[in-house]
Amino acid sequence: MVNDVFTFLVGGKAGEGVKKAGSVAAHIFSSMGQRVFQMDDYMSLIRGGHNFSIVSASTRWITSHYMKADLLVNFDKRSCETHINDVADGGIIIYNSDEQEDVVGVGIPFSSEAEKYPMKNLMYGVGAVAILAAAIGFKKEQMNQSIKNQYPRGIEDNIKFANSIYDMVKGGCQGKFLLSKGERERPIITGNEAISLGAIAGGLDTYFGYPMTPASSILHFLAKQAENFGLAVVHAESELAVINMAIGSAFTGARSMVGTSGGGFALMTEGISLAGITETPILCVLSMRPGPATGVPTYTEQADLSFALSAGHGDFLRIIASPGTMEEAYYLTAELLDLVWKFQTPGILLTEKHLSECSMTIDIDIDKAKWAKPKMHQGGNYKRYLDAEDGISPMLFPPSKEVIKWNSYEHDEFGVTTENAEMIAKMHDKRNKKLKALVEYLKSQYTVNIIRGEMTTNLFAYGSTYMSVLEALRYGELNPTIVQPIFLSPLPIWELEEFKNQDNIVIEQSSTGQFTALLNEKAGIKIRSTIKKYDGRPFDPIELSKKIKEVLK
Amino acid sequence: MDNLKTYAEITWCKGCGNFGIFTALRNAIPKLEEKGIKREDIVMTAGIGCHAKIFDYLNLSGLYGLHGRNSSNSEGMKIANPDLKVITFSGDGNGLGEGLAHTIFAAKRNQEMTMILHNNSVYALTTGQFSPLAEKGWKGPSTPRGSFETPFNPLSLMLEVGATFIARAFAGEIKHLTEILVQAIQHEGFSFIEVLQPAVPYHSWSEYNEKIEFLENEPVTYEEAMKAAKNKHKFTLGVFYRAQKPVYHNGLYGVHNPLTKRLSRSERITKIKEILFG
Repeated sequence: MVNDVFTFLVGGKAGEGVKKAGSVAAHIFSSMGQRVFQMDDYMSLIRGGHNFSIVSASTRWITSHYMKADLLVNFDKRSCETHINDVADGGIIIYNSDEQEDVVGVGIPFSSEAEKYPMKNLMYGVGAVAILAAAIGFKKEQMNQSIKNQYPRGIEDNIKFANSIYDMVKGGCQGKFLLSKGERERPIITGNEAISLGAIAGGLDTYFGYPMTPASSILHFLAKQAENFGLAVVHAESELAVINMAIGSAFTGARSMVGTSGGGFALMTEGISLAGITETPILCVLSMRPGPATGVPTYTEQADLSFALSAGHGDFLRIIASPGTMEEAYYLTAELLDLVWKFQTPGILLTEKHLSECSMTIDIDIDKAKWAKPKMHQGGNYKRYLDAEDGISPMLFPPSKEVIKWNSYEHDEFGVTTENAEMIAKMHDKRNKKLKALVEYLKSQYTVNIIRGEMTTNLFAYGSTYMSVLEALRYGELNPTIVQPIFLSPLPIWELEEFKNQDNIVIEQSSTGQFTALLNEKAGIKIRSTIKKYDGRPFDPIELSKKIKEVLK
Repeated sequence: MDNLKTYAEITWCKGCGNFGIFTALRNAIPKLEEKGIKREDIVMTAGIGCHAKIFDYLNLSGLYGLHGRNSSNSEGMKIANPDLKVITFSGDGNGLGEGLAHTIFAAKRNQEMTMILHNNSVYALTTGQFSPLAEKGWKGPSTPRGSFETPFNPLSLMLEVGATFIARAFAGEIKHLTEILVQAIQHEGFSFIEVLQPAVPYHSWSEYNEKIEFLENEPVTYEEAMKAAKNKHKFTLGVFYRAQKPVYHNGLYGVHNPLTKRLSRSERITKIKEILFG
């Protein structure tokens, strides 16, 4: 075992229940009071290929999976060969003895055993759960209960299959990994679920989306919850439609959100610009995957930061922030929804596949979420773009006896198109005043997460890379100061001032170092070195701690 | 700001067909009010082009959107607050060029909204290029040797993709246009009106006046409507099709209004806790 962490890996073909087995394992650990972090690695296909799920568990806070696993269940030869070097000291490999021999590990005839049931290889995942149950010393009754709860379809066959696998693996690994119990059970959620729930808590009324990994699961989760929360959740014909529907919906006063990844976001940018000039409160979730173009759809990267910072033509205020943890994803989504309504401008919640699709146990204060509330018109003649002192014009929504005009052309205060030189400049000034107001507001908010350490070096990371860094430092027993800017636009330079000329290292998932450039250009922070990873995979804590140690020397 | 007009300076060319649409719409609103539709419930969107200038001139609430995207704005409005009556103005370049997919999908969904398609068969504001409804041979700055593309038939197209009220009117027949607007805006479903509208620098009124005729009988079935849409020449005015079909927002969430019936913060928090903590 790696320190105090137990890691379970299950690998096989798409369709064999790999991810489900991972999530059942995570629920088993959390029911024991353990904290878990689950990462699913899957290919862009429906059936076949090679997928794996890794679940790391510990009695302390854990913020990353570990690639070195203690128990590895491989449904096929390909999985076994792929993960042969991913075994931790003292770890056990389970392989499919119908497909291969001569593996140092425990062979299970998955294929011939599953052949006895109508669901065949669709049952492999249940087999993985049975192996885990035996390895962590579960009695059969405990295992059967878990399977009943987690696999509602074909319960009888599943239990029969699990019991036979349990008996086969008993000799090899029964009770090999007895895990200690933690203090209490915690809920497990994915980053996208945290984002969705945060949006709902913050006042979401309408969500528009077009399927694109890794943002699709927001659309799916919200569509499933639409009736429960009285939301309108729409799968539209394109991201162009998505953003423009959301803007139309915001015009009526509905708190609206959209979600996508880089390619879809590229299509949305004309709408982001429209939101800029019409002063539409709109929140966009941009979950990054490796680009350019189609890139690598089901993997992770942080290379759309620069794009997000300047998304949409023209001068206007964009609010961009990135959550470091699942809990923060919940709070921040509600906070951004509030901010875009306070300041009537587009906002982007920047995240990555790694946060969107990983799941973990959370410690969360649901009541802490903000509630989106705009400044409202207080009666009298209405002017949509009233030149207020802070640039924020009061809002009013139809139906109203007053006429409310939102305009994509440059406009006067009432909202009618203008080409008047004085008015054009005045409206630019009005909108630009909002930046000043926003910065003043943010100065009283929690915008940068700083964890003070004892070393003289500071590590900068944003988004889910923050979680990888935390785990790497725990593994490597290092304690530099960690600086995680939650807000990226406007960048809270008032919080970063002190670090300018100190010894600074950046850790990010971009091949050109976009975050490094932002810190340097906007906050004048001198960066000694950047640790980059851009192979689509998230950092592994062991590998990352080695790199950090090298740089710290 | 009487008479539904704003203070905005009108910059359509003298004699533009858009004036007819502007007048007919201002005539239609009081008629709709007589029928119980409240003026404040009417919201509009427009795309970009000569048609869209009507947004500045009409003293109604709405959103002046991007080129081609206005029907999506309208869909978003209707989905968020289905109590609103939504009108979207579009040119033929705007709605059948840049925004074709959005127009088709709004009809496919039978969104309860009215699309007024200002058909001048030319990109007028951008100096006369050929448009999706321009006749073959149109010589514009982008097609100096004449357009060789066949124009869409907007009526059969909309019929095919699911619009449930389809009509053609003419900016020179204001009384007829007014009546059609009143019917279209009252229609429960996606209503589409193609309005023939001369852009005078490019087409003369006489080109239209001499060809205009009216449908003798309104088609009753879908097949009759399709036949009329395909066989009658493109200056034939009238209602080609009307049908009752389920509208989008009812399919999406039944009888509900996401905005006026939104859950309070505490109701949401309670439900979220139920999801997470059982």
